[in-house]
Amino acid sequence: MEERAFKTQNSMKFEEMELSGFGKYPKAKCKVTRPTGIEDLKEYLKEGPMVGRGLGRSYGDAAINKGGFVAESIHMNRFLAFDESTGILRCEAGVTYENLLDTFVLRGWFPPVTPGTKYVTMGGAIASDVHGKNHHKAGSISSFVLSFNILTASGKVMKCSREENSDLFWATVGGMGLTGFILDCEIKLRKIESPYIESKAVKLGNLNALFDKFEEYDADYHYSVAWMDIVAKGSSYGRNVLFLGNHSKLDELPEKLKLRSKEKHIEKKISVPFEIPFSTLNKVTISLFNSMIYMTSKNKENFEHYDKYFYPLDSILNWNHIYSKSGLIQYQLNIPEDRGKEAVDKLLHKVVSFGGGSFLAVLKKMGDQEGILSFPFRGYTLSMDFPVKKGTIEMCRKLDEIVLDYGGRTYLTKDSILDEVTFKKMYKGLWEKWMDIKIKYDPENKFTSSLGRRIGLCPS
Amino acid sequence: MSLLVLGANSLIAQAAAANFAQAGHEIIFAERNKDELSKIAEDFKIRHKVNCYSVQFDALDFSGHKKAVEDCLALIPDLQYVLITFGYLGTQESAQIDFSEAHRVIDLNYTGVVSICEIIAAEFESKKKGNIAVISSVAGDRGRQSNYMYGSAKGGLSVYLQGLRSRLFKSGVNVLTVKPGFVDTPMTYGMKLPGILVASPQKVGRDIYKAMINGKSIKYTPFFWWYIMKIVKSIPEIIFKKLKL
Repeated sequence: MEERAFKTQNSMKFEEMELSGFGKYPKAKCKVTRPTGIEDLKEYLKEGPMVGRGLGRSYGDAAINKGGFVAESIHMNRFLAFDESTGILRCEAGVTYENLLDTFVLRGWFPPVTPGTKYVTMGGAIASDVHGKNHHKAGSISSFVLSFNILTASGKVMKCSREENSDLFWATVGGMGLTGFILDCEIKLRKIESPYIESKAVKLGNLNALFDKFEEYDADYHYSVAWMDIVAKGSSYGRNVLFLGNHSKLDELPEKLKLRSKEKHIEKKISVPFEIPFSTLNKVTISLFNSMIYMTSKNKENFEHYDKYFYPLDSILNWNHIYSKSGLIQYQLNIPEDRGKEAVDKLLHKVVSFGGGSFLAVLKKMGDQEGILSFPFRGYTLSMDFPVKKGTIEMCRKLDEIVLDYGGRTYLTKDSILDEVTFKKMYKGLWEKWMDIKIKYDPENKFTSSLGRRIGLCPS
Repeated sequence: MSLLVLGANSLIAQAAAANFAQAGHEIIFAERNKDELSKIAEDFKIRHKVNCYSVQFDALDFSGHKKAVEDCLALIPDLQYVLITFGYLGTQESAQIDFSEAHRVIDLNYTGVVSICEIIAAEFESKKKGNIAVISSVAGDRGRQSNYMYGSAKGGLSVYLQGLRSRLFKSGVNVLTVKPGFVDTPMTYGMKLPGILVASPQKVGRDIYKAMINGKSIKYTPFFWWYIMKIVKSIPEIIFKKLKL
């Protein structure tokens, strides 16, 4: 990667470099900065439009800003206050899930909502209003965000909560970083007794069975997510494994794990050290991989460490490198509850007809919506990874049509291909409401991103 | 089990201190910026559940150094480890045309350290125990046209520490000179650096902790800088002066 060092007119430092999201598609040259606090940020704001960036784990172009500033929160990662009695933590926006887990799990606290990777900052989590395997029960991260401070376009720091500046609160949660730079936040952690998850896997032969089981286990399990083999055809079509889980109580654990619950967990990590020059993913390998998951999964109940349960892919650093240089598209959609099964069936058939197998396909039940532009609402969400190659984008456009037909939408944090017209149909009634608040706090669009411009939330 | 960090607003200092905190040391953070100081101490209290104190300290206020050390000793009389991390890179070009910049580079990297170090040295010498670690730089190993102001201050510092080390050796006090190479910090951000040679503050902090605990004299971090500087130092001056380094 070519890196070039520069200074702005006010002699603020930045590096010009090509950035992308986790999917490595698309890429754009940005002016990357690493502010150490509010004063730095204010200086950069004077120099040009910007967007905040945490660890760059959104898949598409949410945290890139072609030709403009990208402010990384890497140096704003401190814990500011913690109340042991309530579990309320105040921390800077660059604090990551990994930081939270390392510090608080052994003391009996857990992030109340976690995405599938711990390499996400709190600022990024709020801007994406991330959800986890417990969305149907607990909602998204914003349900636990009591307040945050945000630097707005005017240079003013505003405290936002459900009571104070609530319009900006709801526009920022899920607002993709376009309302300002989140400086710090106050979140309520969840009390746990052990770092283990009492997990249960249920192998199911088809989609009907899966939707039934989602309902059946709804009451008993806090976490649920299903993996689907979306390349299987014929009688195996729609086969899946439903993974359920609850935080283990200490006295339910076997003796060995009770002891381990008090020790610091050491994880082994492997890394994909470089981008594999050709795509290792093709019909054969994807099909083999999916069959392997299904065959090796067993109907079982088990105690799993949270690290393995929530973050299996984090043990392979840079796993996105297997998608070669051209990258991947993660396509995640949400369909209203009543038509969920029908839509998922139709979408899977469409994917199969395109021959565009997905390495990993995941289905989960979602609860109610929080932020104005937040992705989740009561329904079913399906997410799939596709390598970027000829035909992928066309296929996704076809999927968009189905999603729209069923009154659904796709997830901006994963998105890299949505166009303005489709976005505005998917988020109808919401984007207009959001836009009013955006204009109120940032009339000159000082906060803008490649994503924002692509889907018409900011002028290009 | 205690550490004093002078110049707490350095990522290297915080990374090294994190290792001490994990081992259960109490920590005093000393720093000029009051807001930063309280944030750093609070973060450490939450993250590591150790006692943390903060003392306001200005490296350039030489006359205030004695008071600062007294304040620290009032908090932890039996202070064990001292890590001095403040410093200032400055800009070579402006230091050449503007003496005030050169002066600042020299004072923050050399004079200020000498001033505070002598006070601590006297204290440790009389107690016949203690450990002092100071961050110098590989830039002090050889003068280069691109940053000789900073390099000369750090070079002077390294020589000063050599002398201090010999003096305090007989009192059982260890002096460690830390020579980091390129580290990914706000100080170096936006500089053209060869990526492969740039270390994380965490790596450097870990190295410093280990070298302090093990009573080392000189620590190049990461280790390969010892080899690099060996080569750089061995180039004859007649050739070196023609290089664009």
